[in-house]
Amino acid sequence: MSPEDVTRGPAARPPATESPVGPSGVVPLLRTEDLARSFGGVFAVAEVSMSVARGEMRGVIGANGAGKSTLFNLISGHLTPNRGTISYGGKRIEHLAPHERARLRISIVFQTARLFAGMTVLENVMMGAHVWSRHGFFEAALRLPRHRKEEREIRSKAEEALERVGMTPWAATEAESLPLGQQRSLQVARVLCSKPALLLLDEPASGLRAEEKESLAGLLEQLKAEGLTMMLIEHDVGFVSGLADTVTVLDLGRVIAEGPPDEVTQDPAVIAAYIGEGRGRAQRH
Amino acid sequence: MILLLAAASFLLPLWLSSANLTVYILLGLYAVTAIGLSLLMGLAGQVSLGQAVFFAIGAYTAAVLSLHGLSTVVALVLAPLLAAAVAAVVGVPILRLRGHHLAFATLAFQLIVLSVITNTPFLGGGLGFTAVPGLGIGKATLSSSLGYAWLTWGLTVVVMVVTLNLIRSRPGRALRALATSEAAAESVGVPVVRYKLAVFALSAAYAGVAGGIYVFFIGYASPGSFPVELSVELVVMVVIFGLGSVWGALFGAAGISVLMQVLNQVGTLHGMPQYMPTLLSYAAYGLILVVIVMFLPAGVLPGLRRLWARRPGGREDPMSRQIAPPIASLRSLLRSTRPKTTRADGTPSPEQTRRQ
Ligand SMILES: Nc1ncnc2c1ncn2[C@@H]1O[C@H](COP(=O)(O)OP(=O)(O)OP(=O)(O)O)[C@@H](O)[C@H]1O
Ligand SMILES: [Mg+2]
Repeated sequence: MSPEDVTRGPAARPPATESPVGPSGVVPLLRTEDLARSFGGVFAVAEVSMSVARGEMRGVIGANGAGKSTLFNLISGHLTPNRGTISYGGKRIEHLAPHERARLRISIVFQTARLFAGMTVLENVMMGAHVWSRHGFFEAALRLPRHRKEEREIRSKAEEALERVGMTPWAATEAESLPLGQQRSLQVARVLCSKPALLLLDEPASGLRAEEKESLAGLLEQLKAEGLTMMLIEHDVGFVSGLADTVTVLDLGRVIAEGPPDEVTQDPAVIAAYIGEGRGRAQRH
Repeated sequence: MILLLAAASFLLPLWLSSANLTVYILLGLYAVTAIGLSLLMGLAGQVSLGQAVFFAIGAYTAAVLSLHGLSTVVALVLAPLLAAAVAAVVGVPILRLRGHHLAFATLAFQLIVLSVITNTPFLGGGLGFTAVPGLGIGKATLSSSLGYAWLTWGLTVVVMVVTLNLIRSRPGRALRALATSEAAAESVGVPVVRYKLAVFALSAAYAGVAGGIYVFFIGYASPGSFPVELSVELVVMVVIFGLGSVWGALFGAAGISVLMQVLNQVGTLHGMPQYMPTLLSYAAYGLILVVIVMFLPAGVLPGLRRLWARRPGGREDPMSRQIAPPIASLRSLLRSTRPKTTRADGTPSPEQTRRQ
């Protein structure tokens, strides 16, 4: 074994490029290397090296405060890492601003709904189209042809996305007046409208009723079948296991296990972390 | 609706007396500036308490260039461009600020510019310029007020159409989005910094072209022509009928101009002290601003509608309870300048606790 091999990480875990899904040897869509981010000296994410293949559905689980949302925010650019690199499609992106990463079609559904107040549901979804439409102030002010053409496209894509999450009847409602479950669906519609290449979903199922959860699972299945690469954070292990090809388990900011859902959930370290999770939840409520 | 406005604004000046025609022209110029400010404050949520500075920059650009022999038409074209360029430059540091910090910064910028003008002989100093030529090409100059009235209102209609188009488009939605949450707007790919600069520059360009026409029409410009009071007047015009509405800004400009005219007539009635007109106009701005910001944050009409909806059995639209960010920052501005920061119930206000 050469020294380079040693530095690449613990030999116990195979390099993630050889994950069961995704043809090996192909550049993964997303790859993080020794990623770290601390808040006030405490590392929320540390030494995270992982890669996600194109078309893969990656589950990310872990106890409260394990660093899952922090990891997503590092990938989407809403947080900057203290250390480490992020490659996307073979290019380094850790220095890019959030809007630039959004333009690369990295779309995120935040854990807490971030809607645009004062805009209707349809307008909120239309905002998703910002990344793939181009016309600016000048063309809009003078209603030049590209503006007209793109506005038509934006509207039809937004309506399509609303249809997919079953929210067409609420198109003209003020987004803020929606109940929480529908606010989540609205966020999902917005990212669908952005034609994402990598979709980050931070607990999209939390707060949903059973049937809403089921239709979300159905939608995610469809997206997976269409070949969309996704990362999904979810506390409901059953929900993730049913959807994900691979699950990454975080604990105190570090990856403690990674592999097919049924293997990972049997891992003693993971079970131990989840007992901690149960305690954490009990204290919260 | 726009066609109706265009027709009315074309025909109306034919009936007006020359004094009223002057009011009518100034009204149009304020309306253009107010529409720009409405775009900035109402749509993009960025407060400017110094918008008159861009009116001044436009006026001075037009005056200086034409007094140095440049064609007045070219000078008028350059006026909004320079105003926009200045906005784009000062916007870089200023637009990082939010809420009432931004309001103070824009106000400070206006004061700085006015004092620079006052102390620069090249710019006419404190006395300003007189004998600015009238607008025209070669020997054909626009000499009648009627001509200026048509020019001004033609511009107003164009500005309205352009602004309405903008609001109902991709960039317009992006501006509304960043007004509610910059982080969320960034997450959907809106380059927030660039968009804020663009809308600031655009609003400055509206003010700049209005200022250019103003100086050709009046023929005179001094630092005293563009006081902070004018900036406040513009804010009042924009908020009175509801932020972010182009028509609201137009009617706000009309309403306030007419009100000021009436107050001026009352103030100069026989036997009134000399300071009366100024006193009345300050009192009116202050009163309107406080009433709107504190009690009718959505503007007069939506505010009344909301009060109506609150009647027993009425249905209140949850949206109307929302307070637009610029209004909220004006509110905190009013509160922070209040000498005693204690709430009615005796508990310290958040501002006070923060200071401790
Ligand atoms: N902006 C922040 N400032 C300070 N500390 C933060 C910040 N964001 C996260 N943290 C801390 O970092 C740790 C990881 O937080 P993170 O939100 O990533 O956890 P999570 O795995 O998403 O948890 P949950 O399941 O509760 O959503 C926590 O201890 C949290 O308190
Ligand atoms: Mg989280």
